[in-house]
Amino acid sequence: MNESGPLPVAQKGDKHRKRVRIIKLLRPALGVVVLLFILFRMYQVLVVQHEFGPDTWTRLLISGLIIGAVYALIAIGYTLVYGILFMINFAHGEVMMFGAYAGLFTFQAFGAIKISSVPPTSFLNAYPVIAIILAFLIGMSISATLGYFLEKIAYRPLRKAPRLVPLISAIGASIFLQNAAQLLFSPQLRDVTNPEILKRGEGWKILINGSNVVISYTGVFTFVLSVLLLIGLYIIVRKTKLGRAMRAVALDKNTAALMGIDVNRTISRTFIISGALAGAAGVMWGLHNGLVYYFVGFIPGIKAFTAAVLGGIGNLPGAMVGGLFLGIIESMGPAALGIDFQLKDVLAFVILIIVLTFRPSGLLGEVLAEEKV
Amino acid sequence: MKSLKFFVVFTVLALLFTACAPKATPTAVPVATEAAVATEAPAAVDEVPAVCGTDPFGCAVFAPGDVIKIGMGAPLTGGDASFGLDISQGAAVAAKDAGTFNGVTFELVAEDDGGTPEGGAAVANKFAADQAVVAVAGHIYSGASAAAMPIYEGVGVPMLSPSASNPPLTEQGSKVFNRIVFTDQTSADITAKYLYDKLGVKKLALIHDGQDYGKGLAELVGASFAALGGEVVVEEAITPKETDFTAVLSVIASKKPDAIFFGGYTSEGSIVANQMKSTGLENAVFFGCDGTFGAEFLTRTGANGEGAFAVSLTPLDTPAKVAFDAAYESAYGKKPGELSPYTWNGYDSTAALIDRVKALAVVNAVGKVFVPRGALVDAVRGLKDFVGISGTYTCDAKGECNANGPLFMVIKDGAWVPAP
Repeated sequence: MNESGPLPVAQKGDKHRKRVRIIKLLRPALGVVVLLFILFRMYQVLVVQHEFGPDTWTRLLISGLIIGAVYALIAIGYTLVYGILFMINFAHGEVMMFGAYAGLFTFQAFGAIKISSVPPTSFLNAYPVIAIILAFLIGMSISATLGYFLEKIAYRPLRKAPRLVPLISAIGASIFLQNAAQLLFSPQLRDVTNPEILKRGEGWKILINGSNVVISYTGVFTFVLSVLLLIGLYIIVRKTKLGRAMRAVALDKNTAALMGIDVNRTISRTFIISGALAGAAGVMWGLHNGLVYYFVGFIPGIKAFTAAVLGGIGNLPGAMVGGLFLGIIESMGPAALGIDFQLKDVLAFVILIIVLTFRPSGLLGEVLAEEKV
Repeated sequence: MKSLKFFVVFTVLALLFTACAPKATPTAVPVATEAAVATEAPAAVDEVPAVCGTDPFGCAVFAPGDVIKIGMGAPLTGGDASFGLDISQGAAVAAKDAGTFNGVTFELVAEDDGGTPEGGAAVANKFAADQAVVAVAGHIYSGASAAAMPIYEGVGVPMLSPSASNPPLTEQGSKVFNRIVFTDQTSADITAKYLYDKLGVKKLALIHDGQDYGKGLAELVGASFAALGGEVVVEEAITPKETDFTAVLSVIASKKPDAIFFGGYTSEGSIVANQMKSTGLENAVFFGCDGTFGAEFLTRTGANGEGAFAVSLTPLDTPAKVAFDAAYESAYGKKPGELSPYTWNGYDSTAALIDRVKALAVVNAVGKVFVPRGALVDAVRGLKDFVGISGTYTCDAKGECNANGPLFMVIKDGAWVPAP
């Protein structure tokens, strides 16, 4: 012990540095192996076996983009709330579910109002544009209100508590809302009756490789509306005063308060906006998939959360990219890798693990997230 | 603090001891010493029949005015609730028809097991703890039945399922499980033959929902179809509770199948039928199973369902069936077979169980009804030539009691009609 002169320490240091260097090489090495495996599988499927024609790939791409757009809308909600409060709002999927129910009931109500009896038309089909706009407005308002009360009742009282507590509250709120919906609206699956111009399953037909690829009206509608809403949100966040307040509160809550920003109001407004987007996603879900029930928000909620983390939690463009990316992986991934479609969720979560292993802050995330505490 | 600790330990031990008490002994046996009440003239002796002492599971005791319960585990909420509701209602009619037996009435008790193994086990535990449940007309779903079987085995409650058709259920050596529905193997063989010979399908795609019933049935159909000379081009699984299957269907479309066989239930089957049209499968025939038959499939698919097949178990019009149909409709406002194909099976299984209970019950001098459990298990297994609405049932050594095969139905002009 007393003879630990310069020589023994240097030797210990060398061995230590070598070990660290090996471990540091391990991660990129693992990454290369995984990448090679994926490329090999894709080569097998695409070039060697040549199973799917361009028509199938087009269909898969379309499916992926549509579902990705819905995930992106819901993921924005997660990201906004995380950016501001550093908590994951697990009840967000249920906010979307209530929006879907609101859309369902609006369409039902409009479908019941008879405008003329010869030929028998309802309000829904006589003025479809107004009906759709109203349905979206109602759906978004209900979800926005739900988001506001969620924050007020479940999260605001716990703002000073350790991070785990609001998380548990969120999970509790999620279970509460699911069961409330089950009791209020009965556990039966409900069908959404679309207006005639937006009939589910109908669309533009393109002939690719000898078979008709249907680009459905509801699908295009969903995608375009999602993109518009995302652009709208981006403008709000970048150009308006509210957006600046949101960014300020996300950066440093206390300093923002010192600068005269009403932190509570800003947070409430964030929840309202994220709720509205989830509500829109819910109504779109009802239109495109046609089925609404109390559990419909759970799985998209989890997938959207995954998408938000994938893109970089707290990062707005990240949520959008993450959503689309996840949607496409889910659709085209199993086909591209030649695995069972039943494993698409497994694939999505494995991709999440891989991305987080090599880039913990997500695809577009900033590395400085830790400093914001 | 010390006394609190002692109290807690005492409570825990007390709970453990009460929980460990075996089912058969507590409430069952009234002691014969109560007999001579005061100095009356020879009063009736309330004694326990000898068979209760020798029966491995003891007897269930019912005083006049009590209710003998026939249990049923079925999905009563969620996407498949219409099945559970329908079958339990059919069974309830049978319980009512059984009338009064020595002052005791019968009642069908339906509990929600969600159609899942977890739910099945939970409901089984509940029934096993209820002394008044002597038999179970269920469970309805194969997965739930599999989980419930060992629990009933332990307490001597026989099962007679109207609808659990997964073949391995009778291969497990269970003494209590019996069923009056034909197995999936029979159904699969006949379905494959119909597809290959009648419909001329040469390339078949299989879709199932990954559950016991759907997966089992789809694989059996695939095997039978391949044995006949057909080609199974692809087998894919979907996840239940999801609503977007366009990706899977696109991949299946690329293999250009003539028909798609779907193993699963209406909630997913209707979505597949709907989305087939927009994913390049407009020309493929949708062939469902008995899980996709019913009014709900019709309303869910609308025009997209035109030409879809399913399996029905509607029996021939006998006087008994007509009487039941009338009773069901007046009680519930819907025709039997509308919500699920198993309404008549529900009636038959409950009627058969009640018949066995009545045959075995021993009435003592005081009028109490004793039902020996172990003997009932054997009696249900030994069911012979029981005439039900859906056919005549005789159970073999493994618990298969069925008689008929499936009947195919097709949607034509918005209604289910018998397939040619």
